[in-house]
Amino acid sequence: MSSEPDVGFDSAAAVDGGEAFEAVVVGAGPGGAAAAAVLADNGVETLVLERGVEAGSKNVSGGLLYAEESAPFALDDLFPGVREAATERPVTRNYMDCLGDGNVHTIDLSGVHEHDTAWCDSVLRRRLDSWLAERVHERTAAAGAGLLTGVHVDGLLWEDGEIVGVTCDELDPIRADLVVAADGVNSELAREAGLMDWDEPEEWFQGVKATVDVPPAAVNERFGIDENEGVARLFAGDLFEGVRGGGFLYTNRDSLSIGTVFHLDSLAAERAEPHELLDALLTHPHLGRWLPDEYEEREYAAKLVPDSKKAAHPSPHRGRLLLVGDAAGQMQAQGPIIKGMNHAVSAGGLAAEAFLEARNRRDTDAAGERYERKLHGSGLFSKLKPRRYGAVGRLGEREAVADAVDDLVDSRLGRLGVRVAGGVVGRAFNSPFLLGALPDTRSAYATVPTVLAEELGAPVDAENGAEPPSLEERIGDLTYDTDVGNAHIELVDDGYDASGAAVTACPVSADGFGGGCYREETVRANGDEERVVSLDTQPCIECGTCAVVAETEWTHPRGGKGVDFHEG
Amino acid sequence: MPEIDPAEHDVSELGPKVQSIEDPEELEALLSAERDGENRDAVITVIESRLDRIADDEGGGDGDIDLDAMSVAEIGNALQDVEDPERLRDLLDRETNGEDRDPVVRLVERRLNSVEGGDEGDTGGAVTDREPPEERHPELDHPTADKQYVTALDDGTYRDMWVYCETQAGDLLDVSRELLGKARELMDGYNEEYVDGNAGEDGGGEANERVVAMLVGDDVADHADECIALGADVVVVHEDDRLARFRHEPYAEVVADMARWGADPPARDEDRAPTPPSDADWRDYDEPRYLLFPATNNGRDLSAQVQAELDSGLASDCSGLSIEDAGISNPVKTGDPGSTRTFERVLHMKRPDFSGFEYSTILCLDNPDREFHPQGASVIPGSFEAPEPDPGREGLVVDHETDLDDDWFRVEVTEFDRLSGGVDLSGHDVVVAVGRGIGADPTGGMELALELADAFEDAAVGVSRGIVTGSYSFDAHVESYTAEERQIGETGQEVTPDVYVAAGISGAVQHKVGCDEADTIVAVNTDPDARIRDWCDYFVEGDLFEVLPRLTDAVEAGGLDAEAIADGGGGVTPGADPATDGGGANE
Repeated sequence: MSSEPDVGFDSAAAVDGGEAFEAVVVGAGPGGAAAAAVLADNGVETLVLERGVEAGSKNVSGGLLYAEESAPFALDDLFPGVREAATERPVTRNYMDCLGDGNVHTIDLSGVHEHDTAWCDSVLRRRLDSWLAERVHERTAAAGAGLLTGVHVDGLLWEDGEIVGVTCDELDPIRADLVVAADGVNSELAREAGLMDWDEPEEWFQGVKATVDVPPAAVNERFGIDENEGVARLFAGDLFEGVRGGGFLYTNRDSLSIGTVFHLDSLAAERAEPHELLDALLTHPHLGRWLPDEYEEREYAAKLVPDSKKAAHPSPHRGRLLLVGDAAGQMQAQGPIIKGMNHAVSAGGLAAEAFLEARNRRDTDAAGERYERKLHGSGLFSKLKPRRYGAVGRLGEREAVADAVDDLVDSRLGRLGVRVAGGVVGRAFNSPFLLGALPDTRSAYATVPTVLAEELGAPVDAENGAEPPSLEERIGDLTYDTDVGNAHIELVDDGYDASGAAVTACPVSADGFGGGCYREETVRANGDEERVVSLDTQPCIECGTCAVVAETEWTHPRGGKGVDFHEG
Repeated sequence: MPEIDPAEHDVSELGPKVQSIEDPEELEALLSAERDGENRDAVITVIESRLDRIADDEGGGDGDIDLDAMSVAEIGNALQDVEDPERLRDLLDRETNGEDRDPVVRLVERRLNSVEGGDEGDTGGAVTDREPPEERHPELDHPTADKQYVTALDDGTYRDMWVYCETQAGDLLDVSRELLGKARELMDGYNEEYVDGNAGEDGGGEANERVVAMLVGDDVADHADECIALGADVVVVHEDDRLARFRHEPYAEVVADMARWGADPPARDEDRAPTPPSDADWRDYDEPRYLLFPATNNGRDLSAQVQAELDSGLASDCSGLSIEDAGISNPVKTGDPGSTRTFERVLHMKRPDFSGFEYSTILCLDNPDREFHPQGASVIPGSFEAPEPDPGREGLVVDHETDLDDDWFRVEVTEFDRLSGGVDLSGHDVVVAVGRGIGADPTGGMELALELADAFEDAAVGVSRGIVTGSYSFDAHVESYTAEERQIGETGQEVTPDVYVAAGISGAVQHKVGCDEADTIVAVNTDPDARIRDWCDYFVEGDLFEVLPRLTDAVEAGGLDAEAIADGGGGVTPGADPATDGGGANE
């Protein structure tokens, strides 16, 4: 503190009229929470800005939160009591159901599920993130700042070509020695800094999820578990019409998280409707084993998932800006295992440590370099982007190779091989090493599981009477605070060729559906006909799909505006 | 040998110790001890970076403050790092013997004063050599440097709470009413708290302080009675046909002159003493004690200029006001470090910070050597309740007279447009709304909707959000009907007509909330599974391009009127098969 407050040469903030903090953390998800907690606990004046009305209201995840034994940070070390207070159930069993031709063949994934796992809980993000945010606010407030919700950080504050802080829709610009961008998969900060882009659909997955209401006792009874146990099931095979991806089901305390995850390039190329693919899973007879008699959906949600094998940034920093979690593409999706939140927690902790070390040396500008060294030195980066994937995986994804593998597996010889080697395949899906090398082709998602089911499976004997709501009903059931007159997405090119893929790929739009975001229209003018796309951002659930598959100027809505997820 | 043996500590313990060592020799000794001993990279890094840091601080004598080569601002910054009074004295000598720039000399003297912490030259707390801010910060492009004309009063008298009552297009704004009500409430409390209730106007002691309303414009005097009824004791009016529309300069001049009542303000650039206010039998003070403005576009514009002209401060965009005493220990305000002074009758101005996440309370307090009056605020509209007018209240209306300088009107308003308040679809018997069902021929569909609306006695045309956000190209004669201002639904208007005709609208819940309260809802849609079928009263399965003309014919032929439909009668006889929703009214 200056003893001479009226002489302010050193206070640029006082001249600008903006606020200044040592650190600004953008986004109060697990990554931002971890970074803020470590910073604040070490006395760094840390301001956390969250754009939702409450932390968690903008967050969606499939729902498994892992704590790895090898990780530098675990959420329950940083936030004691989090598992008791804010997660759903410990996931004690993990299976993959291969479906094909009315048969199901189940592989036990315990091996890979338990590998390096300290614990794994199912989570719903509104509950988890809002609980974390309360702790973060207490701790950051004690260090001289705090957590503000309803603030949308819309850009970086630059000075002489250097990043010196952030700008917001709601507040004056804020200066800081450290800016942690934990603002999620569609990080506007990462894009403004030129670190990430939305260009390549093959770098992304799209996840769509329904949270289904089931009383706790019914969860226990249907899955044969007690209240301290939980089940994860993955689904692959012939139920998604050849779109590359799979399904999942996780048990929560009093609900089920059921969803699908597809490669965005495949989804866009097949013109598949995400909500229909989700319905294909929800109404599959096999799911009848677990779904309640009266299907009641609490919430429909979606999110874009970066494929860290391709999108993880090896050097996720620029100047004072450090990227953490999804913002840096740190989302590990290899084979059936998806790990994102745990890596975000580790990255957040490492970013904070890097800043603290740099600050101790009076050289805060070195925080980014230190963070990068820690990402690589801790082994985190090699989990996100295994070297062996570079050798085998990329090659395997080439269509010719994929076709050859498919043909082989599907051939009489291949089928025989599968029959003989069924156990081997099960082991392969349980090998973290092999999964790291596994190419993301339909071989992994569709052909192999389908053949497994056909050759080794038992008939599906359940019946499923679930009637999921229509897309219109799903949108109608969501809570929105529409920012009337301020559309947050602009369609730059409304030509069908440029942006038509959004009509189907957007999880709240559909071909022939007028109540969604993207709609195809035919404009007749002067005797000409033109296929165009129109956009209404009111039903938007802010997943970012259209930023990748259409020509848009994409930003998040202003603070507190837009969709408000209650489950997440 | 260094005082600490590095080998006995690990890196985390050494870090803080090293950071506290100031002596480079000791650090060098420590460094060589570590190199000879454990030779840990981390420890060496810590010590080396500390050495670098100290070298930066010291800069090898005064070589880093090269007075001749540095600007005043650079010197100012560099001085902040100099702690040693001897070095500062040396700098001072060098400057006085060299370029001898006044601002530099002052900066060094100030810094010297600051590092010596008042041990020497005890000023007894009183600030003796006061400098105006622009002299204290010569390097800054300080806003007050331009304000060369006016300075604050010295030992002025301040009374009453003044309220700028904004009018627009001849009407008193609601926020002006809200401000008058709040001012009344505040001054009633003020008088009870601070003014001896027995003191009369001429009975010695203090008189009650008043609420003074200001009306500026053309033809605004009519509002004086309302201002009094709302709580004003005095209304000061300035009318001039050139003031019919808000303009920054003449309005600011007039309002500032009202506050000073013709006084010639003290000047900064010459030693001009202030002249007292003009004689007035209704006021005996120099300037208002408090001054409130509405935080409207014009009010913000005006308030900043007026408060600057009066050489006071402004708390902008406030949402809460109270008058209380405040104990202050900031030496800038008390003039005496370490003491606390109670400021009386302070207007506490609460304003939302961080967009309302937190609140600051702004106090505008006199310094020992400079007065900050009037205490001024602009207030966000809607912050307070408008009071019930009391037509029995009595008050004084005073005309303010001053010559308006032609120069103030240099900026001319050449053109203005009053934005329409949008289209109000409520209050009609019938609303005909169309949606994306018109896609095959958007202009034709709108024409059909307009024709049907024309056939009714009192009907309006609205659209669904799908039309507003769609890419349809409409011909000019119908385009205005497809704008956002006619949108019905959650993000548009809510209508409650007797009859609501929804043609080509699927009926998403967002649309439903805009028309659900209509007495009777008639839907026309080609899709028998459209959601609207669940909540309409009559569902006509058919193409609106066929159905709407027949509905129009029926209405024109008198076979159908709004009341009849609403009553469940009328003759819905379109050719398409009318399906009905439960009610069975299929005639």
